[in-house]
Amino acid sequence: MTRLAWLPFALYAAAAVAYLAHFWRRSPAVGRAATALLGGAVLAHTFLIGMQTMDAGYAPLVGTTAAVSAFVWLLGLAYLYVELTTDERAMGAFVTVLLAALSILPALNPQMDPRPALLRSPLFTIHVLSMLFAYASFALAFVLGITYVLLFKEIRAKQLGFFYARLPSLQTLDAMNGRAIVVGWLFLTCGLAVGGIWATQIHSVPDPRVQAMGLADPKILVALLSWAMYSFALFARRAIGWSGRRAAYLSAIGFIIVLLNFVPVGYFLTRSHNF
Amino acid sequence: MRLVAVGISHRSAPVELRESVDFSRGGLDRALTALAATQLAREAVVVSTCNRAEIYATAVSDAAAPACARFIADYHGVPWDTIAPHVFMLHGADAARHLFRVAAGLDSLVVGEPQILGQVKDAFAAASGLKHAGALTTRLFNTAFTVGKRVRSETGLGEGAVSVSFAAIALARKIFGNLTGLNVLILGAGEMAALTGVHLKAQQVRQITITSRTLATAEALATELGGRAVPWSSLGQALTAADIVVTATGAAEPVLSRRAIEEAMRPRRSRALFIIDIALPRDVEAAAGQVDQVFLYNIDDLQSIVQENLARRAAELEHAERIVAEELARFAAWMQSREIIPTVIALRQRFETIRRAELQRLEPKLAALPPDARARVDEITHLIVEKLLLTPTERLKAINDETQAVNYADAVNKLFSLAAEDTAPAAPEPRPQTAGKEKA
Repeated sequence: MTRLAWLPFALYAAAAVAYLAHFWRRSPAVGRAATALLGGAVLAHTFLIGMQTMDAGYAPLVGTTAAVSAFVWLLGLAYLYVELTTDERAMGAFVTVLLAALSILPALNPQMDPRPALLRSPLFTIHVLSMLFAYASFALAFVLGITYVLLFKEIRAKQLGFFYARLPSLQTLDAMNGRAIVVGWLFLTCGLAVGGIWATQIHSVPDPRVQAMGLADPKILVALLSWAMYSFALFARRAIGWSGRRAAYLSAIGFIIVLLNFVPVGYFLTRSHNF
Repeated sequence: MRLVAVGISHRSAPVELRESVDFSRGGLDRALTALAATQLAREAVVVSTCNRAEIYATAVSDAAAPACARFIADYHGVPWDTIAPHVFMLHGADAARHLFRVAAGLDSLVVGEPQILGQVKDAFAAASGLKHAGALTTRLFNTAFTVGKRVRSETGLGEGAVSVSFAAIALARKIFGNLTGLNVLILGAGEMAALTGVHLKAQQVRQITITSRTLATAEALATELGGRAVPWSSLGQALTAADIVVTATGAAEPVLSRRAIEEAMRPRRSRALFIIDIALPRDVEAAAGQVDQVFLYNIDDLQSIVQENLARRAAELEHAERIVAEELARFAAWMQSREIIPTVIALRQRFETIRRAELQRLEPKLAALPPDARARVDEITHLIVEKLLLTPTERLKAINDETQAVNYADAVNKLFSLAAEDTAPAAPEPRPQTAGKEKA
């Protein structure tokens, strides 16, 4: 199992190299190879998650490492869906680099954490999956936002070059960014609501982690902060017309908050979410 | 069978002459039928665009080339002396190379332009439809399509707009994606304004609004473009509603200030505005380009994009020529094998027939020999024949020049009286591919 745990990382890394090569050289054959490698990586990852589930009898969602693994898997799937439906590969170079970087964590530590009795509720599974799917959407929005800004700057500077030749139109990037934020926000809202309900249900359990569940806990606080951030992004786009570059910056800030909450806060600071 | 290419192109003839020999005027079918009636060629394809009138044909001898060239003059009723100095004639691999370069856009006036590949496909489809394309021209044109596709997908030769109008439209597409839902505002009603309007109309924008200091001229252009004219006084509103603004007035001072743009942008929220200032002197204050969500390009900016694209295309030339050379090598080898391989086979068959006939003739004398001695005789005679043929076979196969291959094949055929039916191509011919079915 330990060796198998490196397989998704290896394939994600290979896909990242292929996507970067495709972005650079724009060879259709390399592009197809990149998609195939990413497809292979997601399949291998699915297989690994399946094996872990069979082994343990529950889905590997306990602990930050397992959550990172599930996040990578969901983002890979979501990106493949976007690529296959829009026939647009340029974003792959950015997404797969993130996937490869994050998939090192589960590869280094493939041991599944034991699941405490506390987490047996289906609400926990819904909470975690919703949150992770929201994060995956925000990651896509982030990548779309970055590429929007890069292309915007090239056109404004009248230096039509590298990104101009490789990226879809500003309008496409902006529309996709907007959609990713809506999807992400819906899942984030659902995840937070379910998490809140579940936390009230188990409130009487004398576990210190349950007792720490409150606004004072950094993980919960920052999650609410990111919800506020994305709610503002949605409001700004609809009510005050903040699209384009402003929306791109908002989605970048939002995802940086999400990533901070996910990795450093998840590993070191939280007292309520360290299962 | 000899492959020839004759014709005139923008490289060899001025436009008046090219116009006078335009095959497409009377229809390619009529030209092909007339050419077939002359029985000059076994297979023939006529490629005719505004930049070239060319015939690709196969015939039994090279003499078909000047005859086909004369056909171009006769068919159009142009005196031969008028076009003779401008005609090019190519044979064998040179003819194939020319077609491949044409299909790749390497021989075009604007190098890398993509329309030519479609025109070559149409030419082949017409010939194919009238059954004037045979095995050789079918293979030739299919290889040309491959070259065209490879050059388009593997090089940047066709990338980047090389005219100011297309550079502007390409930019608009990069900003807005699809142009169909967009409102265009044109300031000015002169020639440049009209020209840009025509280009934008071809992009099927939602509405073209024209404004000019003289409403009547704006109205005239609006009628021409199917748009609407608004008085100069409603410029502010028109600006707010527009996605693309083209300025081409003859004003000596800028007509759009940064402030005017800022005011127009306020109610638009973040909706982008693309301003194309093609006027000289400029119509838009340079500082207007700093307003958020405004993309301002003037004629110099667009021209420098065109220059960069041209330079980039030039850098891709070598790569494209390499693709032509690769495909040409493959095609020439095939063409040569069509000439040589059947000859080699026929030659070997002839020797083998002689050997067997001699053994047969000596049969009464050989009958007395024990079986293993007879087997030895058979083996030795076989070896002698093999040894005799080894060098000629190798030499013939090593010929990589098509003209030489034909000459050698001819010589061998004559020297050994190889029957014509023995030299027929042994390999099955590729099935003709109907170009009409392909995407142009």
